[in-house]
Amino acid sequence: MPILTKRPNKRPLGLYIHVPFCRSKCQYCDFYSTCTKEDKLIDGYLDAVCDHIKEAGELAPNYKVDTVYFGGGTPSYFGADGLAVIMTTIRRNFDVDNNAEITFEANPDSVSDRLLHRLRAEGFNRVSLGVQSDDDEMLKKLGRPHTYAQAVAAYHKIRKAGFRNISIDLMYGLPGQDLQDWQETLDNVLRLNPEHISCYALKIEEGTPFAQCKDILNLPDDETQADMYLAAVETLRGRGFRQYEISNFCRKGLVSKHNMKYWTGGEYLGFGPSASSDFAGKRYTLKRDLQAYIAGIREGGDIMEDIQEIPLRERAGEYLMLRLRTNVGIDAQEYEKMFLLPFAPLEDVLEQRRRFFHATQTDTGRWVLTPKGYLVSNDIITDLLLAQDGSSPLKRI
Amino acid sequence: MTELSKIRNFSIIAHIDHGKSTLADRLLESCNAIDQRIRAEQLLDSMELERERGITIKATAVTLHYTADDGETYALNLIDTPGHVDFNYEVSRSLAACEGAVLVVDASQGVEAQTLANTYLAIDAGLEVLPVINKIDLPSARPAEVKAEVEDIIGIPAEDAPEISAKNGINIHSVLEMIVKDVPAPTGDREAPLQALIFDSQYDSYRGVIVYTRIKQGTVKPGMDIKMMATGAVYKVVEVGTMTPTGLCPLDELGAGEVGYITASIKTVADTQVGDTITTVENPASEPLPGYRAVQPMVFSGVYPADGAKYQDLRDALEKLKLNDASMSYEMESSIALGFGFRCGFLGLLHMEIIQERLEREYNLDLITTAPNVVYRVTKTNGEVMMVYTPLDYPDPMEIQLAEEPYAKVNLIAPQEYVGNIMDLCQQRRGEFKDMVYLDASRVELHYEMPLNEIIYDFFDALKSRTRGYGSLDYELIGYRPSKLVKLDILLNGDIVDALSFILFADNAYPRARKICEKLKENIPRAQFEIPVQAAIGGKIIARETIKALRKDVLAKCYGGDITRKKKLLEKQKEGKKRMRTFGTVSVPSEAFMAVLKLDED
Repeated sequence: MPILTKRPNKRPLGLYIHVPFCRSKCQYCDFYSTCTKEDKLIDGYLDAVCDHIKEAGELAPNYKVDTVYFGGGTPSYFGADGLAVIMTTIRRNFDVDNNAEITFEANPDSVSDRLLHRLRAEGFNRVSLGVQSDDDEMLKKLGRPHTYAQAVAAYHKIRKAGFRNISIDLMYGLPGQDLQDWQETLDNVLRLNPEHISCYALKIEEGTPFAQCKDILNLPDDETQADMYLAAVETLRGRGFRQYEISNFCRKGLVSKHNMKYWTGGEYLGFGPSASSDFAGKRYTLKRDLQAYIAGIREGGDIMEDIQEIPLRERAGEYLMLRLRTNVGIDAQEYEKMFLLPFAPLEDVLEQRRRFFHATQTDTGRWVLTPKGYLVSNDIITDLLLAQDGSSPLKRI
Repeated sequence: MTELSKIRNFSIIAHIDHGKSTLADRLLESCNAIDQRIRAEQLLDSMELERERGITIKATAVTLHYTADDGETYALNLIDTPGHVDFNYEVSRSLAACEGAVLVVDASQGVEAQTLANTYLAIDAGLEVLPVINKIDLPSARPAEVKAEVEDIIGIPAEDAPEISAKNGINIHSVLEMIVKDVPAPTGDREAPLQALIFDSQYDSYRGVIVYTRIKQGTVKPGMDIKMMATGAVYKVVEVGTMTPTGLCPLDELGAGEVGYITASIKTVADTQVGDTITTVENPASEPLPGYRAVQPMVFSGVYPADGAKYQDLRDALEKLKLNDASMSYEMESSIALGFGFRCGFLGLLHMEIIQERLEREYNLDLITTAPNVVYRVTKTNGEVMMVYTPLDYPDPMEIQLAEEPYAKVNLIAPQEYVGNIMDLCQQRRGEFKDMVYLDASRVELHYEMPLNEIIYDFFDALKSRTRGYGSLDYELIGYRPSKLVKLDILLNGDIVDALSFILFADNAYPRARKICEKLKENIPRAQFEIPVQAAIGGKIIARETIKALRKDVLAKCYGGDITRKKKLLEKQKEGKKRMRTFGTVSVPSEAFMAVLKLDED
């Protein structure tokens, strides 16, 4: 019997590239991006990201990249050439799996046939299109630089260019929106037949223009938002979508593999200002400052905003907080093995939640939240964290 | 012993913020009593809390040696008095240790309610009152008018009152000369049987209780057996001496007319009640000095550890505080809702807040405090008369023949444009208008008789807000009067939360019940199920609110960069849950208890 049949498997790795450029800022958005047109910054960014990727590639020889995600900002606005350069750099410096999921985010106003064909040729195979609403008035209110007709046109272009995995981003709980408006948005978008839909509740983030005028926005109350959420879950399920995360739905098992890494404890490396990583036991975030990022990479300075080594006990909390967002859920044996903590105290909380139809168990006994449970998941997770705090490590498994 | 003619015993009285403590500091400095290097602002207010709040909580005394313009050196004993209505009795005992009082009046604000109240206390104690006009450096100062006010309103000559600025050290010398010239020297027979007035005491872990005293008659020396005439406690004197700004200075003896301290290995301040008379066992005085009164807490409230496991810590903390504060009382109490805790008695709300703050700060405790209440007197149908200290003990309405509540005489002073507002407020608080006096062209003093209970609930805050801060208040207990009282119970999800029950005037029950239900609704987080919040009197529901079931509490987005941030958010939410008390099925944060205490009337 041969002692070594093959090299040990490489560990999977996700890459996130933050592209911090937009045509204009949306009123609700607190992601880091700039509307600059200065070549110095745009070229500087491209050089810095590529250099950063080269540096990082050397540190990850035992990893195989199975997902790459270009988010922003607006990657499609940054343009095909830039994205292609970055992707090429990635391939040169990392071992990228042949079947890797490679996604870019696009806005309807910056999708062209040329861009799509170029990226398709570079191996991009998934597009996340920011549609948000089917109502032009609403899009205007949100500060989106496009109409719904543009969104539909963009969607068809993407499809025609050969992308077979398209995701559409939608928002609910918008100013003045009612349940019926939202239902219409869903119905309209479903006619496009996307593989994947994300539905996000509008959240008023500090420091955004919306935060300034919050009180006059006429936002739907929590009750209405809850109804909207449940309506989305119901509608999408009826159309063959599986809810695999609080805000994410897919057909044909086409989950966002990259995003799933965030929720199931996978490793990922982030590039570009404000990008985050969870790699080799450490979680870190880069500075939210393009110039500082460029200078830091060029001169070898500090680009970290925050770096933390996460102890096992804290990982146990993250396990609850993140996995319960998904339909993977949590499992007694898995939990006890991973963290050497007893599951029983958590089970008490979950049993109690089962009575309110907030939690349920799958055929294999894994605990998952129901849509009603997702809606109050903070409340459930904090109950679980409290129960976890009070538990002492297992002596034996 | 200092010759009687070379002693001056005086105190400084003032309305809050008129500069009493600052003047005291300047007097100390002028007598070189303070080493400049160790000088902290307002030396006499030594408690951290005192300095922060700008009020004097405990009385202190200090002896200064001042060489006057006549070339003689005098021992000036300055007795600093507490500055709040809650501590009126303590003030009166400190004044009884003096022959004179320096009355500090703010040159722009003029005479205020406490200026008057304290002056009357001083005049009642037979003191020579010497006005001083302070803060003359302020642009708004109007010393001439204020002097006229003092003469008109208080009726004491103020023509020659020194015009000073304690803050800037202007004219401090003239205050010292005035004290020497106008405060009468003490009298007394140093051979007579000992009569020493206790005006304060303080617990020291090395010496036991340090008794601050004014010797009225006779002489006290180490080794003497002394007796507290009211409490009957007997001790052997270890040390006597005077207080200096830098510490205690032992002497061979203290004689009539002098102010100083006595230590006698006394274990608790409960044995050295303020106002009591010390005499000797061997040659006792025939009677105690007049004016002693056992201190009665007026306001009671349940004090519980927010974390039930900290009960013992709370007990230890109260025990230690009590060593130094005889006016606070505590007794074990248990509530179904809050578990074990204490029913504590306080002189007033300020006193209550101070004790709570000290417990939380100095002993690092997280507390839940129940609504404060006064002591009610209930005559039962079987003739038994009981004093009710806690709503938990309030008898069933069927058993009550007569319920009575304590009343207070309230003096309010404010600019005349606020008279309407004050009258409205007092009427709402069941005040009985007595009379109204114009103090001068623009200010009015109103007299009311009002249930004490109405005063302890944010009355002072309400007064301040209705008079834009210009109104001032002083009150004094005048006895019990029959009243229509009811006990209001609060039910959460159908269960009575005993810690939220309280006694109140029947006619106020409906509006207050509604308000409390609203407040609780705001402060109790939504749960998985609907929670009815009800208020009831004797089983009859009179108000109801519903806390709807929690439907939405979710982080819609959570990707790579959000994890750290959202983890913190959940961590915070979790910590909030930790601080909640669970009653049956309902979790109540300690803030909900606080919210019920502060029912804004507007």
